[in-house]
Amino acid sequence: MAELLLDPDIRVWVFLPIVVITFLVGIVRHYVSILLATQKRAELQQLQDSQVMIRARLLRENGHYLPRSSFIMRRHFFNNEETGYFKTQKRAAVSQNPMTDPSMMTEMLKGNITTVLPMIIIGGWINWTFSGFVTTKVPFPLTLRFKPMLQRGIELVSLDAAWVSSASWYFLNVFGLRSIYTLVLGENNAADQSQHLQDQMSGAAMAMPPDPKVAFKAEWEALEICEHRWALENIEGVLVGNPSPAIEQAS
Amino acid sequence: MGRGEEDGGERDPGRVTGEKGAQVMEMLGKHFNCPKYTLLEARDKLRLWREENERRSLEVVDMWDSYLQSNIHKLGDERLLVWEQVCIAALDCNRMDVVDICLVSLATEFPSSMRVRKLQAMKMEALEKYDEALELLDQIIKRDETNAAPRKRRVAILKAKGRIAEAIKELNEYLKKFMSDQEAWQELCELYLLEQDYAKAAFCMEELILHNPHNHLVHQRYADIKYTQGGLENMEVARAHYCLALKLNQNNMRALYGLLLAATNVSSMTKSLSAPKKKECNKLIAWASKQIRNRYEEVSGRSPECELEALNGMLGALQIAGPQSSSP
Repeated sequence: MAELLLDPDIRVWVFLPIVVITFLVGIVRHYVSILLATQKRAELQQLQDSQVMIRARLLRENGHYLPRSSFIMRRHFFNNEETGYFKTQKRAAVSQNPMTDPSMMTEMLKGNITTVLPMIIIGGWINWTFSGFVTTKVPFPLTLRFKPMLQRGIELVSLDAAWVSSASWYFLNVFGLRSIYTLVLGENNAADQSQHLQDQMSGAAMAMPPDPKVAFKAEWEALEICEHRWALENIEGVLVGNPSPAIEQAS
Repeated sequence: MGRGEEDGGERDPGRVTGEKGAQVMEMLGKHFNCPKYTLLEARDKLRLWREENERRSLEVVDMWDSYLQSNIHKLGDERLLVWEQVCIAALDCNRMDVVDICLVSLATEFPSSMRVRKLQAMKMEALEKYDEALELLDQIIKRDETNAAPRKRRVAILKAKGRIAEAIKELNEYLKKFMSDQEAWQELCELYLLEQDYAKAAFCMEELILHNPHNHLVHQRYADIKYTQGGLENMEVARAHYCLALKLNQNNMRALYGLLLAATNVSSMTKSLSAPKKKECNKLIAWASKQIRNRYEEVSGRSPECELEALNGMLGALQIAGPQSSSP
C-alpha cells in the first residue's frame, strides 16, 4: 500500500490544537470542581460509630497483650446481651435509594456537571470542527480490530489500522493526559494544603461503612468468636532464655 | 494538652533581668548559637516539625524573630500554615506580640474560620481569661459538633484551673464520643494518676497498649502503674509487661530495674508460691541483676572495681527494700 503523506497544516491546525484544548479543559475542570466542592460534614453519630468500630477491631487484633480480665471486661462492654454497646445502640437502617436524599442528588449533579457535561460538549464540538482528518500514525502495526477505536469518523476500509483520526486522537488525549495533570496541578503543592486551612480536621476516622447496623452486627460476631490467649504467658521464660512453658504447666 | 504559660520565654537578652532572667538566658543560650538558616531551610525545618508534631516552641519563635517575620510573604500559601505554627509556639513562650501579629493576619485571611477561632480561644486561655475562652470554644462546638479540638481545649482549661475531677468528667464525656483518640486516653491516664486512681489509670494505659502494642514505653508505663497498685496479681502483670518492654527494647533501663523490683516483690510476697515458680522467679531476679551489672560495665568501660562494688551494694539494698516500698 502506498505511504500516506499528511499535510503539515494538519499538524499545526488539528493535531496540536486538540492536545492544547483537551489539556486546558482539564485544568479548567479541575478548578471548577474545586469551586463547586462542598465540605462533607460528618454527623457526630457517624463519627462515633466509626471510632467504636476502630476500638473494637483493635481489641480483637491486639487484645492478647492485655491480661485476661481486662480483655473480658472490654468485650463485655461491647457484647453483653443486655448492656453491651453493640446490642443497645440502635441505628436506623440507611435508606437504599439515593434519590430520596436531596444532598445526595446535588452531589450527583455536581459530579455530572464537572465530568460528563464537558466531555459531551467539548467532544461534540471537536468532532464537528475537526471531523474527517487523519492526524497521526502510531509507530507500530495494529490489527483490524483497532480500526473502530483509532479511526472514529473515517470509514475507510483500505486505510491501515495504525492511522489515527482526529476524533480518536481527542479521546486518546482525554484518557492519556491524567498523569500530566498530576504533574502540573500536583497533589501536595502549597495551593492544596492551604485549602485545608479553612476547614477543620475531624480525625482520620471519617470513613464509615454506609450501614452501621450491619457493621455493628459483623463486629459483634467477630468479637464474640475472638478467643483470648495471653501473649505474655511465658514471656519471663523467653526473656531469660528458657522458652519451654513446662514450668507454667507443672504448677 | 496543658499548654500556655509554663515557660515565660523572653528573647531579648538586654531586657531580661533578675534570677528568672538568668534561667531564661541559660535556656536560650543554645538557641542563640544555632546556625542561621536560609529562608528555604527554615521553611523545610518548620514543615518537618509540623509533620512530626514537634513543638520546639522556642526555636520556632526564634526563627520568626530573626527572619521569618520580614520574609513571610515569600513563602506563598504556606505562610498561612507558618502563621498558625508560630502562633501556637508564641503562646507557649508567652510572646503576646507575636501571637497578635499572627492572629490578625490569619483573621483577615479567614474571617469565619473555626480553626482561627480556636487559636483565639487559646490566646484567651494563655491570658487566663478562661470564661471568655470557654464561651468561644462553645461557639465553635455549636457550629461544628464533630470538631474534636475545642472539646479537648475545654478539658485543658479545667486542668489549668486545677479542677482535675471536673476535667476527668469532661474527658470521659469526650471519650464516649471519640473512643479511639489515643491522645485523650493518655491525658485521662495522667489525670487519673494525679488523682491517684491507679486502677482507672491502668485501664487507660491498656487502651493505649491496644493502639500501639509494639511501643515499649507504653508497656513500661503500664507496668509502672500496675506495680504501684500492688498486690500479687498486679505485680505479676507488671513483671510480664516489664519483660515485654525489655524484649521490645533492650536498652530500657527503667524496665530492667522495674523487672528486678517486681520479681523480687513477687518472690517475697507469698509463702504459698510453688517451688518451680519460686525457682523461676529467682532465676529472673538473677538474670535482671546480671543484666544491670553488664550495662554498667559496658558504660563504665574497664569497670572500675569500686563502682561495681557500690552498684552491688545498691542492688542489695533494692532487693531488701523492695517488698516494703510500694512505689518504684
